[in-house]
Amino acid sequence: MATCYKSIHPVKYYRDFLAKGVRPDGRDMQKFRPVSINVDSIKTAEGSAIVKIGNTVVVCGIKAELAAPKAEEPNFGYLVPNVELPPLCSPRFCPGPPSDLAQVSSNFIAETLTSSGCVDLKDLCIAPEHLAWVLHCDLICLDHDGSLWDACVIALVAALRTVKLPHVSYDVEAETTVVSPEKRNKLQVHNTPVATTFAIFDDEILLTDPTNEEESLSSGVMTIVVQGGQLCSVHKPGGSPLTESQLQECINGAMKRAEYINKLVNMTLESLGT
Amino acid sequence: MARMDLISFKGLRLDGRRANELRQIRCKMGVFSQPDGSAYLEQGNTKVLAAVYGPHEIRGSRSKALHDKALVNCQYSMATFSTGERKRRPRGDRKSQEMSMHLRQAFQAAIRVEVYPRSQIDIFVEVLQADGGNYCACVNAATLALVDAGIPMTEYVVACTASLANGDVPLVDVSNLEENSGGPNLTVAALPLSGQVALMEMSQRFHLDHLPKVVECALQGCRDIHQILDQAVRRHTEMSGSALGWGNRAQVDL
Repeated sequence: MATCYKSIHPVKYYRDFLAKGVRPDGRDMQKFRPVSINVDSIKTAEGSAIVKIGNTVVVCGIKAELAAPKAEEPNFGYLVPNVELPPLCSPRFCPGPPSDLAQVSSNFIAETLTSSGCVDLKDLCIAPEHLAWVLHCDLICLDHDGSLWDACVIALVAALRTVKLPHVSYDVEAETTVVSPEKRNKLQVHNTPVATTFAIFDDEILLTDPTNEEESLSSGVMTIVVQGGQLCSVHKPGGSPLTESQLQECINGAMKRAEYINKLVNMTLESLGT
Repeated sequence: MARMDLISFKGLRLDGRRANELRQIRCKMGVFSQPDGSAYLEQGNTKVLAAVYGPHEIRGSRSKALHDKALVNCQYSMATFSTGERKRRPRGDRKSQEMSMHLRQAFQAAIRVEVYPRSQIDIFVEVLQADGGNYCACVNAATLALVDAGIPMTEYVVACTASLANGDVPLVDVSNLEENSGGPNLTVAALPLSGQVALMEMSQRFHLDHLPKVVECALQGCRDIHQILDQAVRRHTEMSGSALGWGNRAQVDL
Protein backbone atom coordinates (compact mmCIF):
# COMPACT_ATOMS: atom_id res chain seq x y z
CA MET A 1 0.00 0.00 0.00
CA ALA A 2 2.79 2.37 0.97
CA THR A 3 4.76 1.47 -2.14
CA CYS A 4 1.73 2.26 -4.36
CA TYR A 5 1.34 5.63 -2.68
CA LYS A 6 5.06 6.24 -3.12
CA SER A 7 4.98 5.59 -6.88
CA ILE A 8 1.79 7.57 -7.53
CA HIS A 9 2.60 10.70 -5.56
CA PRO A 10 6.22 10.65 -4.37
CA VAL A 11 6.35 14.30 -3.34
CA LYS A 12 3.31 14.01 -1.06
CA TYR A 13 4.74 10.76 0.35
CA TYR A 14 7.88 12.68 1.33
CA ARG A 15 5.95 15.65 2.68
CA ASP A 16 3.97 13.40 5.01
CA PHE A 17 7.21 12.02 6.47
CA LEU A 18 8.89 15.39 6.75
CA ALA A 19 5.86 16.82 8.56
CA LYS A 20 6.68 14.39 11.38
CA GLY A 21 10.34 15.47 11.32
CA VAL A 22 11.77 12.25 9.91
CA ARG A 23 12.78 10.90 6.45
CA PRO A 24 11.55 7.59 4.97
CA ASP A 25 14.87 5.88 5.72
CA GLY A 26 14.52 6.77 9.40
CA ARG A 27 17.01 9.63 9.58
CA ASP A 28 16.13 13.10 10.76
CA MET A 29 16.88 16.08 8.55
CA GLN A 30 20.44 16.70 9.72
CA LYS A 31 21.66 13.15 10.05
CA PHE A 32 24.35 11.78 7.72
CA ARG A 33 24.48 8.23 6.43
CA PRO A 34 27.22 5.91 7.71
CA VAL A 35 30.49 6.10 5.79
CA SER A 36 32.88 3.20 5.25
CA ILE A 37 36.31 3.46 3.61
CA ASN A 38 38.65 0.79 2.32
CA VAL A 39 42.10 1.67 1.00
CA ASP A 40 44.82 0.07 -1.07
CA SER A 41 42.81 -2.90 -2.29
CA ILE A 42 43.61 -2.56 -6.00
CA LYS A 43 47.18 -3.69 -6.44
CA THR A 44 47.56 -2.67 -10.10
CA ALA A 45 47.02 0.99 -9.16
CA GLU A 46 49.60 3.11 -7.32
CA GLY A 47 46.93 4.25 -4.88
CA SER A 48 43.31 3.23 -4.48
CA ALA A 49 40.31 3.73 -2.21
CA ILE A 50 36.71 2.54 -2.12
CA VAL A 51 34.18 4.71 -0.28
CA LYS A 52 30.61 3.79 0.63
CA ILE A 53 28.17 6.47 1.87
CA GLY A 54 24.94 4.62 2.61
CA ASN A 55 24.37 2.85 -0.73
CA THR A 56 26.54 5.14 -2.86
CA VAL A 57 29.82 3.44 -3.80
CA VAL A 58 32.74 5.18 -5.51
CA VAL A 59 36.11 3.60 -6.27
CA CYS A 60 39.18 5.73 -6.97
CA GLY A 61 42.31 4.40 -8.65
CA ILE A 62 45.47 6.46 -9.17
CA LYS A 63 47.98 5.56 -11.85
CA ALA A 64 51.27 7.44 -12.17
CA GLU A 65 53.00 8.08 -15.48
CA LEU A 66 56.09 10.03 -16.50
CA ALA A 67 55.80 12.92 -18.95
CA ALA A 68 57.40 16.21 -19.91
CA PRO A 69 55.97 19.18 -17.98
CA LYS A 70 54.00 21.89 -19.78
CA ALA A 71 56.15 24.58 -21.38
CA GLU A 72 54.54 27.42 -19.41
CA GLU A 73 54.85 25.56 -16.06
CA PRO A 74 58.20 23.77 -16.20
CA ASN A 75 58.40 23.12 -12.44
CA PHE A 76 55.04 21.44 -12.01
CA GLY A 77 53.72 17.94 -12.59
CA TYR A 78 50.04 17.36 -13.21
CA LEU A 79 47.01 15.75 -11.63
CA VAL A 80 44.35 14.58 -14.08
CA PRO A 81 41.07 13.67 -12.40
CA ASN A 82 38.30 11.91 -14.28
CA VAL A 83 34.87 10.88 -13.03
CA GLU A 84 33.08 8.04 -14.77
CA LEU A 85 29.41 7.29 -14.34
CA PRO A 86 28.99 3.93 -16.06
CA PRO A 87 25.52 2.59 -16.85
CA LEU A 88 25.94 -0.01 -14.12
CA CYS A 89 25.63 2.60 -11.39
CA SER A 90 22.11 3.77 -12.16
CA PRO A 91 19.34 3.11 -14.69
CA ARG A 92 19.40 6.73 -15.83
CA PHE A 93 22.84 6.44 -17.48
CA CYS A 94 23.02 4.87 -20.93
CA PRO A 95 26.10 3.38 -22.58
CA GLY A 96 27.88 5.93 -24.74
CA PRO A 97 30.04 9.04 -24.38
CA PRO A 98 30.38 10.65 -20.91
CA SER A 99 27.10 12.21 -19.76
CA ASP A 100 26.78 15.88 -18.72
CA LEU A 101 26.82 14.91 -15.07
CA ALA A 102 30.09 12.99 -15.52
CA GLN A 103 31.77 15.94 -17.20
CA VAL A 104 30.52 18.44 -14.61
CA SER A 105 31.70 16.11 -11.83
CA SER A 106 35.17 15.78 -13.40
CA ASN A 107 35.39 19.54 -13.57
CA PHE A 108 34.23 19.92 -9.98
CA ILE A 109 36.87 17.48 -8.76
CA ALA A 110 39.58 19.24 -10.78
CA GLU A 111 38.60 22.61 -9.28
CA THR A 112 38.47 21.17 -5.76
CA LEU A 113 41.99 19.80 -6.20
CA THR A 114 43.42 23.11 -7.36
CA SER A 115 41.55 25.36 -4.93
CA SER A 116 42.29 23.22 -1.87
CA GLY A 117 45.95 22.77 -2.80
CA CYS A 118 45.94 19.27 -1.37
CA VAL A 119 48.84 18.15 -3.50
CA ASP A 120 51.65 20.58 -4.27
CA LEU A 121 52.35 20.11 -7.96
CA LYS A 122 56.01 21.04 -7.38
CA ASP A 123 56.37 17.74 -5.47
CA LEU A 124 55.51 15.93 -8.68
CA CYS A 125 58.35 17.49 -10.64
CA ILE A 126 61.47 15.35 -11.09
CA ALA A 127 63.64 17.41 -13.41
CA PRO A 128 62.37 20.92 -14.32
CA GLU A 129 61.52 21.29 -18.02
CA HIS A 130 62.30 17.62 -18.69
CA LEU A 131 60.46 15.13 -16.52
CA ALA A 132 57.51 15.17 -14.15
CA TRP A 133 54.91 12.79 -12.72
CA VAL A 134 51.38 12.77 -14.11
CA LEU A 135 48.86 11.30 -11.67
CA HIS A 136 45.72 10.05 -13.40
CA CYS A 137 42.97 9.91 -10.78
CA ASP A 138 40.07 7.85 -12.08
CA LEU A 139 36.90 7.81 -10.03
CA ILE A 140 34.29 5.25 -10.99
CA CYS A 141 30.86 5.38 -9.41
CA LEU A 142 29.60 1.84 -8.89
CA ASP A 143 26.25 2.65 -7.30
CA HIS A 144 24.62 6.10 -7.39
CA ASP A 145 22.38 6.73 -4.42
CA GLY A 146 22.91 10.46 -3.87
CA SER A 147 25.83 12.52 -2.48
CA LEU A 148 28.04 11.50 -5.38
CA TRP A 149 30.47 14.37 -4.99
CA ASP A 150 30.94 13.72 -1.27
CA ALA A 151 32.00 10.15 -1.97
CA CYS A 152 34.24 11.21 -4.87
CA VAL A 153 36.18 13.75 -2.80
CA ILE A 154 36.66 11.37 0.13
CA ALA A 155 37.78 8.56 -2.19
CA LEU A 156 40.19 10.84 -4.01
CA VAL A 157 41.83 12.19 -0.85
CA ALA A 158 42.08 8.72 0.73
CA ALA A 159 43.61 7.28 -2.45
CA LEU A 160 46.11 10.16 -2.76
CA ARG A 161 47.26 9.50 0.78
CA THR A 162 48.10 5.89 -0.08
CA VAL A 163 50.08 6.69 -3.25
CA LYS A 164 53.70 5.62 -3.15
CA LEU A 165 55.77 6.85 -6.07
CA PRO A 166 58.96 5.00 -7.07
CA HIS A 167 62.21 6.89 -6.94
CA VAL A 168 63.24 8.31 -10.34
CA SER A 169 66.59 9.80 -11.29
CA TYR A 170 67.03 11.71 -14.52
CA ASP A 171 70.34 12.49 -16.15
CA VAL A 172 69.93 15.77 -18.03
CA GLU A 173 72.94 15.46 -20.35
CA ALA A 174 72.40 11.86 -21.35
CA GLU A 175 68.57 12.21 -21.24
CA THR A 176 68.24 8.84 -19.50
CA THR A 177 65.69 7.97 -16.88
CA VAL A 178 66.30 5.40 -14.16
CA VAL A 179 63.29 4.17 -12.23
CA SER A 180 63.83 2.17 -9.05
CA PRO A 181 60.52 0.55 -8.17
CA GLU A 182 61.70 -0.81 -4.80
CA LYS A 183 62.49 2.60 -3.29
CA ARG A 184 59.16 4.24 -2.82
CA ASN A 185 58.32 7.66 -1.42
CA LYS A 186 54.90 8.52 -0.07
CA LEU A 187 53.13 11.38 -1.80
CA GLN A 188 52.84 14.49 0.39
CA VAL A 189 49.19 15.43 0.84
CA HIS A 190 49.02 18.85 2.48
CA ASN A 191 45.30 19.41 2.83
CA THR A 192 42.27 17.16 3.00
CA PRO A 193 39.12 18.75 1.58
CA VAL A 194 35.71 17.24 2.46
CA ALA A 195 32.53 17.85 0.45
CA THR A 196 29.00 17.79 1.87
CA THR A 197 25.82 17.82 -0.18
CA PHE A 198 22.51 19.31 0.90
CA ALA A 199 19.14 19.17 -0.82
CA ILE A 200 16.40 21.82 -0.59
CA PHE A 201 12.95 20.30 -0.47
CA ASP A 202 9.80 22.31 -1.22
CA ASP A 203 11.84 25.56 -1.17
CA GLU A 204 12.28 25.53 2.59
CA ILE A 205 13.36 22.24 4.18
CA LEU A 206 17.10 21.46 4.17
CA LEU A 207 18.03 17.77 3.95
CA THR A 208 21.64 16.78 4.57
CA ASP A 209 23.24 13.91 2.62
CA PRO A 210 20.26 13.24 0.31
CA THR A 211 19.68 9.86 -1.33
CA ASN A 212 19.11 9.62 -5.07
CA GLU A 213 15.31 9.78 -4.66
CA GLU A 214 15.53 12.81 -2.42
CA GLU A 215 17.83 14.57 -4.90
CA SER A 216 15.40 13.97 -7.76
CA LEU A 217 12.39 15.20 -5.75
CA SER A 218 14.07 18.25 -4.29
CA SER A 219 13.91 21.74 -5.72
CA GLY A 220 17.62 22.46 -5.36
CA VAL A 221 20.94 20.89 -4.41
CA MET A 222 24.05 22.46 -2.92
CA THR A 223 27.57 21.16 -2.27
CA ILE A 224 29.97 22.77 0.18
CA VAL A 225 33.66 21.90 0.27
CA VAL A 226 35.47 22.57 3.52
CA GLN A 227 39.10 22.05 4.42
CA GLY A 228 41.01 22.52 7.65
CA GLY A 229 38.53 24.95 9.17
CA GLN A 230 38.41 27.02 5.97
CA LEU A 231 35.68 27.22 3.39
CA CYS A 232 37.01 25.94 0.07
CA SER A 233 34.07 26.22 -2.32
CA VAL A 234 30.28 26.43 -2.47
CA HIS A 235 28.53 24.96 -5.48
CA LYS A 236 24.87 25.88 -5.78
CA PRO A 237 23.66 25.39 -9.37
CA GLY A 238 20.38 27.30 -9.41
CA GLY A 239 17.48 25.73 -7.51
CA SER A 240 15.46 27.40 -4.74
CA PRO A 241 17.02 30.50 -3.20
CA LEU A 242 18.43 30.19 0.33
CA THR A 243 18.57 32.75 3.12
CA GLU A 244 21.88 33.70 4.66
CA SER A 245 21.06 31.94 7.92
CA GLN A 246 20.25 28.68 6.09
CA LEU A 247 23.53 28.93 4.23
CA GLN A 248 25.41 29.50 7.50
CA GLU A 249 23.65 26.46 9.00
CA CYS A 250 24.82 24.32 6.09
CA ILE A 251 28.39 25.57 6.39
CA ASN A 252 28.43 24.70 10.10
CA GLY A 253 27.07 21.23 9.32
CA ALA A 254 29.76 20.78 6.68
CA MET A 255 32.51 21.79 9.13
CA LYS A 256 31.39 19.24 11.73
CA ARG A 257 31.21 16.52 9.10
CA ALA A 258 34.70 17.36 7.84
CA GLU A 259 36.14 16.68 11.29
CA TYR A 260 34.38 13.32 11.47
CA ILE A 261 35.47 12.29 7.96
CA ASN A 262 39.09 13.30 8.56
CA LYS A 263 39.17 11.21 11.73
CA LEU A 264 37.73 8.26 9.82
CA VAL A 265 40.27 8.56 7.00
CA ASN A 266 43.14 8.85 9.50
CA MET A 267 41.95 5.74 11.33
CA THR A 268 41.68 3.78 8.07
CA LEU A 269 45.20 4.77 6.99
CA GLU A 270 46.63 3.92 10.40
CA SER A 271 45.06 0.46 10.31
CA LEU A 272 46.79 -0.04 6.95
CA GLY A 273 50.06 0.33 8.78
CA THR A 274 51.46 3.13 6.64
CA MET B 1 64.13 -16.27 -25.95
CA ALA B 2 64.08 -18.82 -23.13
CA ARG B 3 60.52 -19.61 -22.16
CA MET B 4 59.73 -19.75 -18.44
CA ASP B 5 58.92 -23.20 -17.19
CA LEU B 6 55.23 -23.00 -16.43
CA ILE B 7 55.37 -26.14 -14.36
CA SER B 8 58.38 -27.08 -12.26
CA PHE B 9 59.95 -30.48 -11.86
CA LYS B 10 57.94 -31.06 -8.65
CA GLY B 11 54.68 -30.22 -10.41
CA LEU B 12 54.22 -26.67 -9.01
CA ARG B 13 53.29 -23.65 -11.11
CA LEU B 14 54.63 -20.10 -10.85
CA ASP B 15 52.17 -19.16 -8.10
CA GLY B 16 52.52 -22.44 -6.19
CA ARG B 17 49.41 -24.19 -7.50
CA ARG B 18 49.29 -27.66 -9.01
CA ALA B 19 48.29 -28.22 -12.63
CA ASN B 20 44.63 -28.91 -11.85
CA GLU B 21 44.06 -26.36 -9.07
CA LEU B 22 41.86 -23.31 -9.53
CA ARG B 23 42.71 -19.93 -8.02
CA GLN B 24 40.83 -18.91 -4.90
CA ILE B 25 37.31 -17.70 -5.75
CA ARG B 26 35.45 -15.28 -3.49
CA CYS B 27 32.08 -13.96 -4.45
CA LYS B 28 29.21 -11.93 -3.08
CA MET B 29 25.73 -11.38 -4.52
CA GLY B 30 23.42 -8.43 -4.14
CA VAL B 31 26.16 -5.86 -3.54
CA PHE B 32 24.46 -2.82 -5.06
CA SER B 33 21.10 -1.19 -4.56
CA GLN B 34 20.41 0.39 -7.96
CA PRO B 35 20.70 -2.58 -10.34
CA ASP B 36 18.12 -5.39 -10.31
CA GLY B 37 20.88 -7.93 -9.79
CA SER B 38 24.55 -7.50 -8.94
CA ALA B 39 27.54 -9.60 -7.97
CA TYR B 40 31.20 -9.19 -7.09
CA LEU B 41 33.67 -11.95 -7.86
CA GLU B 42 37.38 -12.41 -7.22
CA GLN B 43 39.30 -15.15 -8.97
CA GLY B 44 42.84 -14.99 -7.58
CA ASN B 45 43.82 -11.35 -8.13
CA THR B 46 41.25 -10.66 -10.84
CA LYS B 47 38.38 -8.59 -9.41
CA VAL B 48 35.20 -8.00 -11.38
CA LEU B 49 31.75 -6.56 -10.77
CA ALA B 50 28.61 -7.40 -12.68
CA ALA B 51 25.28 -5.55 -12.70
CA VAL B 52 22.08 -6.65 -14.42
CA TYR B 53 19.17 -4.37 -15.30
CA GLY B 54 16.06 -5.91 -16.63
CA PRO B 55 13.97 -7.07 -18.16
CA HIS B 56 12.82 -3.58 -19.12
CA GLU B 57 11.51 -1.76 -22.14
CA ILE B 58 13.90 -1.35 -25.06
CA ARG B 59 15.85 1.91 -24.82
CA GLY B 60 16.88 3.78 -27.89
CA SER B 61 15.62 2.45 -31.19
CA ARG B 62 12.38 0.50 -30.87
CA SER B 63 13.15 -1.10 -34.21
CA LYS B 64 15.65 -3.39 -32.49
CA ALA B 65 12.82 -5.04 -30.52
CA LEU B 66 12.37 -8.74 -31.25
CA HIS B 67 8.73 -9.81 -31.34
CA ASP B 68 9.30 -13.15 -29.65
CA LYS B 69 12.47 -12.76 -27.60
CA ALA B 70 14.22 -10.41 -25.20
CA LEU B 71 17.27 -8.53 -26.41
CA VAL B 72 20.42 -9.29 -24.40
CA ASN B 73 22.78 -6.33 -24.25
CA CYS B 74 26.24 -6.68 -22.68
CA GLN B 75 28.92 -4.15 -21.99
CA TYR B 76 32.43 -5.12 -20.93
CA SER B 77 34.47 -2.31 -19.41
CA MET B 78 37.89 -2.30 -17.80
CA ALA B 79 38.78 0.37 -15.28
CA THR B 80 41.74 2.47 -16.41
CA PHE B 81 43.67 1.44 -13.30
CA SER B 82 42.95 -2.26 -13.69
CA THR B 83 46.05 -3.21 -15.67
CA GLY B 84 49.76 -2.71 -15.08
CA GLU B 85 49.97 0.00 -17.76
CA ARG B 86 47.17 2.58 -17.60
CA LYS B 87 44.43 1.66 -20.04
CA ARG B 88 43.48 4.73 -22.06
CA ARG B 89 40.11 3.57 -23.39
CA PRO B 90 38.03 1.70 -20.84
CA ARG B 91 35.48 0.60 -23.45
CA GLY B 92 34.94 1.08 -27.16
CA ASP B 93 38.28 -0.31 -28.23
CA ARG B 94 38.36 -3.47 -30.27
CA LYS B 95 39.18 -5.86 -27.46
CA SER B 96 36.33 -4.60 -25.26
CA GLN B 97 33.86 -4.75 -28.14
CA GLU B 98 34.93 -8.33 -28.84
CA MET B 99 34.56 -9.28 -25.18
CA SER B 100 31.11 -7.65 -25.02
CA MET B 101 30.05 -9.65 -28.05
CA HIS B 102 31.41 -12.92 -26.60
CA LEU B 103 29.56 -12.28 -23.34
CA ARG B 104 26.34 -11.69 -25.21
CA GLN B 105 26.79 -14.85 -27.25
CA ALA B 106 27.53 -16.96 -24.18
CA PHE B 107 24.49 -15.69 -22.30
CA GLN B 108 22.10 -15.91 -25.19
CA ALA B 109 22.68 -19.66 -25.02
CA ALA B 110 21.38 -19.90 -21.47
CA ILE B 111 18.93 -17.08 -20.71
CA ARG B 112 15.29 -18.00 -21.37
CA VAL B 113 14.77 -15.06 -23.71
CA GLU B 114 11.43 -16.30 -25.02
CA VAL B 115 9.84 -15.51 -21.63
CA TYR B 116 10.19 -11.73 -22.17
CA PRO B 117 9.37 -10.72 -25.76
CA ARG B 118 9.96 -7.13 -26.84
CA SER B 119 12.12 -6.29 -23.84
CA GLN B 120 15.78 -5.81 -23.04
CA ILE B 121 18.12 -7.33 -20.48
CA ASP B 122 21.32 -5.33 -19.79
CA ILE B 123 24.43 -6.95 -18.38
CA PHE B 124 27.22 -4.55 -17.39
CA VAL B 125 30.58 -5.87 -16.30
CA GLU B 126 33.39 -3.77 -14.83
CA VAL B 127 36.89 -5.17 -14.29
CA LEU B 128 38.57 -3.48 -11.32
CA GLN B 129 41.79 -5.46 -11.32
CA ALA B 130 42.91 -7.65 -14.21
CA ASP B 131 45.21 -10.60 -13.56
CA GLY B 132 44.39 -13.11 -16.27
CA GLY B 133 41.13 -14.95 -16.94
CA ASN B 134 39.22 -11.66 -17.22
CA TYR B 135 36.59 -13.04 -19.55
CA CYS B 136 35.98 -16.07 -17.31
CA ALA B 137 35.64 -14.01 -14.17
CA CYS B 138 33.19 -11.74 -16.03
CA VAL B 139 31.04 -14.66 -17.18
CA ASN B 140 30.98 -16.14 -13.67
CA ALA B 141 30.13 -12.80 -12.06
CA ALA B 142 27.42 -12.12 -14.66
CA THR B 143 25.85 -15.54 -13.98
CA LEU B 144 25.61 -14.70 -10.29
CA ALA B 145 24.16 -11.27 -11.08
CA LEU B 146 21.53 -12.82 -13.36
CA VAL B 147 20.55 -15.26 -10.60
CA ASP B 148 20.36 -12.33 -8.17
CA ALA B 149 18.10 -10.46 -10.61
CA GLY B 150 15.80 -13.44 -10.86
CA ILE B 151 16.11 -13.83 -14.64
CA PRO B 152 15.25 -17.39 -15.70
CA MET B 153 18.11 -19.35 -17.21
CA THR B 154 18.30 -22.97 -18.35
CA GLU B 155 21.58 -23.39 -16.44
CA TYR B 156 24.50 -21.52 -14.95
CA VAL B 157 27.01 -20.31 -17.55
CA VAL B 158 30.48 -20.95 -16.19
CA ALA B 159 33.76 -20.16 -17.92
CA CYS B 160 37.31 -21.35 -17.37
CA THR B 161 40.66 -21.16 -19.14
CA ALA B 162 43.16 -23.92 -19.74
CA SER B 163 46.65 -24.04 -21.14
CA LEU B 164 49.41 -26.50 -21.94
CA ALA B 165 52.74 -26.45 -20.10
CA ASN B 166 55.98 -27.98 -21.33
CA GLY B 167 54.11 -29.25 -24.37
CA ASP B 168 52.03 -31.86 -22.60
CA VAL B 169 50.72 -30.98 -19.09
CA PRO B 170 47.29 -29.30 -19.13
CA LEU B 171 46.95 -26.36 -16.69
CA VAL B 172 43.63 -24.98 -15.49
CA ASP B 173 42.76 -21.32 -14.72
CA VAL B 174 45.77 -19.44 -16.10
CA SER B 175 46.94 -16.20 -14.51
CA ASN B 176 48.26 -13.16 -16.39
CA LEU B 177 51.89 -14.24 -16.12
CA GLU B 178 51.13 -17.69 -17.54
CA GLU B 179 48.96 -16.19 -20.32
CA ASN B 180 51.73 -13.87 -21.47
CA SER B 181 54.48 -16.47 -21.38
CA GLY B 182 53.53 -17.56 -24.89
CA GLY B 183 51.79 -20.88 -24.28
CA PRO B 184 48.46 -21.75 -25.91
CA ASN B 185 45.28 -20.50 -24.17
CA LEU B 186 41.89 -22.12 -24.43
CA THR B 187 38.84 -20.31 -23.02
CA VAL B 188 35.63 -22.29 -22.62
CA ALA B 189 32.21 -21.03 -21.50
CA ALA B 190 30.03 -24.04 -20.73
CA LEU B 191 26.74 -25.12 -19.22
CA PRO B 192 28.28 -27.57 -16.75
CA LEU B 193 25.40 -29.88 -15.84
CA SER B 194 24.43 -30.72 -19.38
CA GLY B 195 28.07 -30.66 -20.50
CA GLN B 196 27.33 -28.29 -23.40
CA VAL B 197 29.81 -25.72 -24.60
CA ALA B 198 28.44 -22.24 -25.28
CA LEU B 199 31.66 -20.59 -26.38
CA MET B 200 35.19 -21.77 -27.06
CA GLU B 201 38.13 -19.63 -28.03
CA MET B 202 41.74 -20.59 -28.55
CA SER B 203 45.01 -18.77 -29.19
CA GLN B 204 48.51 -19.94 -30.15
CA ARG B 205 48.77 -23.49 -31.42
CA PHE B 206 49.31 -26.99 -30.17
CA HIS B 207 49.07 -30.45 -31.63
CA LEU B 208 45.60 -31.88 -32.25
CA ASP B 209 46.46 -34.91 -30.09
CA HIS B 210 46.53 -32.68 -27.02
CA LEU B 211 43.14 -31.04 -27.72
CA PRO B 212 40.85 -33.53 -25.92
CA LYS B 213 42.79 -33.37 -22.65
CA VAL B 214 43.01 -29.57 -22.63
CA VAL B 215 39.27 -29.27 -23.35
CA GLU B 216 38.51 -31.84 -20.65
CA CYS B 217 40.72 -29.88 -18.25
CA ALA B 218 38.79 -26.69 -18.95
CA LEU B 219 35.42 -28.44 -18.64
CA GLN B 220 36.44 -29.97 -15.31
CA GLY B 221 37.45 -26.48 -14.20
CA CYS B 222 33.98 -25.26 -15.22
CA ARG B 223 32.32 -28.01 -13.19
CA ASP B 224 34.41 -27.14 -10.12
CA ILE B 225 33.62 -23.45 -10.45
CA HIS B 226 29.93 -24.33 -10.88
CA GLN B 227 29.95 -26.02 -7.47
CA ILE B 228 31.51 -22.96 -5.86
CA LEU B 229 29.01 -20.58 -7.50
CA ASP B 230 26.09 -22.83 -6.60
CA GLN B 231 27.11 -22.88 -2.95
CA ALA B 232 27.37 -19.09 -2.99
CA VAL B 233 23.85 -18.80 -4.43
CA ARG B 234 22.43 -21.15 -1.83
CA ARG B 235 24.16 -19.30 1.00
CA HIS B 236 22.85 -15.98 -0.26
CA THR B 237 19.32 -17.32 -0.65
CA GLU B 238 19.37 -18.81 2.85
CA MET B 239 20.51 -15.53 4.35
CA SER B 240 18.04 -13.31 2.54
CA GLY B 241 15.23 -15.83 2.85
CA SER B 242 15.64 -16.33 6.59
CA ALA B 243 15.81 -12.56 7.07
CA LEU B 244 12.39 -12.30 5.44
CA GLY B 245 10.97 -15.28 7.33
CA TRP B 246 10.82 -17.56 4.28
CA GLY B 247 7.32 -16.29 3.48
CA ASN B 248 6.02 -17.79 6.77
CA ARG B 249 6.93 -21.38 6.04
CA ALA B 250 8.18 -23.42 8.99
CA GLN B 251 11.15 -25.09 7.37
CA VAL B 252 12.58 -25.36 3.90
CA ASP B 253 15.01 -28.03 2.78
CA LEU B 254 17.42 -26.70 0.18
